[in-house]
Amino acid sequence: MTDFSDDKRLNAILDMIGRIASLDFTEMLEVSEENDMVDAISLGLNMLSEELNSQVVDKKILHEVNAKLEKFAYTVAHDLKSPLNSQAGLIKLLELTLNPDPNSDIDECITKLKRMNEKMKSLVEGVLSYSLAQSKAIEKEEVDLKELVEEVIEIDNFNEKADIEIRNELPVVFFNRTGATQIVRNLLDNAIKYSNKTRCVINIESEEKNKHYEIRFIDNGPGIPPEYQEKIFQLFNQIDPSLKTDSVGIGLATIKSIIEASGGKIWLNSKQGEGSTFIFTINKK
Amino acid sequence: MEYRENEKIKFTLRDDNILQTECFPNTIMNLEDGKESTRISAEMVNYEPLPLLCDLTNVVRMSQDCRKHFAGPEHAETFSKAALIVTNPISKIIGNFFLGLNKPIKPTKLFTSKEEGLKWLKS
Repeated sequence: MTDFSDDKRLNAILDMIGRIASLDFTEMLEVSEENDMVDAISLGLNMLSEELNSQVVDKKILHEVNAKLEKFAYTVAHDLKSPLNSQAGLIKLLELTLNPDPNSDIDECITKLKRMNEKMKSLVEGVLSYSLAQSKAIEKEEVDLKELVEEVIEIDNFNEKADIEIRNELPVVFFNRTGATQIVRNLLDNAIKYSNKTRCVINIESEEKNKHYEIRFIDNGPGIPPEYQEKIFQLFNQIDPSLKTDSVGIGLATIKSIIEASGGKIWLNSKQGEGSTFIFTINKK
Repeated sequence: MEYRENEKIKFTLRDDNILQTECFPNTIMNLEDGKESTRISAEMVNYEPLPLLCDLTNVVRMSQDCRKHFAGPEHAETFSKAALIVTNPISKIIGNFFLGLNKPIKPTKLFTSKEEGLKWLKS
């Protein structure tokens, strides 16, 4: 016969709370027919345990599916690299063999083929970077952001394409160096790529907050309409795919993934015609 | 007034066009019971959504998938809004779980008396 004395029931409730805390959802509490407060608490804990269990299971399945998808994307992108490089070589060989007159139909076709090949390569590189973005949050080291920004500007010759100014001291952060480089490179590259001014101007500044640093990249570009301000951080989302042939809509999604995997956030302040400010946060140690 | 019942629930289509349901004592509701209840209700309201006055007092358990069903689109096609009557600790916790976790599509509120529930349904 079931013992429904108050002490036993309360002890059973304590045990149940302990099991739920350790994510053990295998047992349920007995509920008597008294329909009293202890019964209500027992039933509530049973229902809570059931709900938590299905959420934990759903999350686990989602993680597994995501991991498989990322592995699949990485494998496909990796396997596509080699034939695309061969294709680029063949196009070059075709160009050398035919030696077409500039502005001829053949010359135009070869130029188009080259552009398509470059775009495919960008896409494949982008998918590879995106697939690896999560892992870039794992290995962290001290990174002097000012030094890193200057290094990226120099290596990529960004100073030839834009006036870039670091407005105040950028912090030394604990972050993955490759990930940070990718964030800086993508933000500068995007500002330059989409600039509609004769000279692109980019200002970089930082602000120390209580638990994190806020880093801002401010450009004088065309601005981004409100309806696109969240979408641009999604994979394969571009404001206008036809505008920029070398843009594949992966860069900002990759940045977002790197930042969020490190516990930070990225967002955008922009008004059409008044430039954009990309803001991201990096947690202090 | 129209009245029907099955093994677990009594259904009354009141003269004021509110469907009232009440369970028999110590009722355990599973998904099948929920679906059967929606089927009978839909027939009684002639497939035109009406307000529901649902007395949970005699319900002692309601399974997770049954709560999901009552919160979902099929039930919302049958009822325009729902007043849930909870008069004891068990029915109160079931009602609170239903509102908090399942987030029903149609407007749904908990009441401790039928009068208050009816007043809200008619407002």
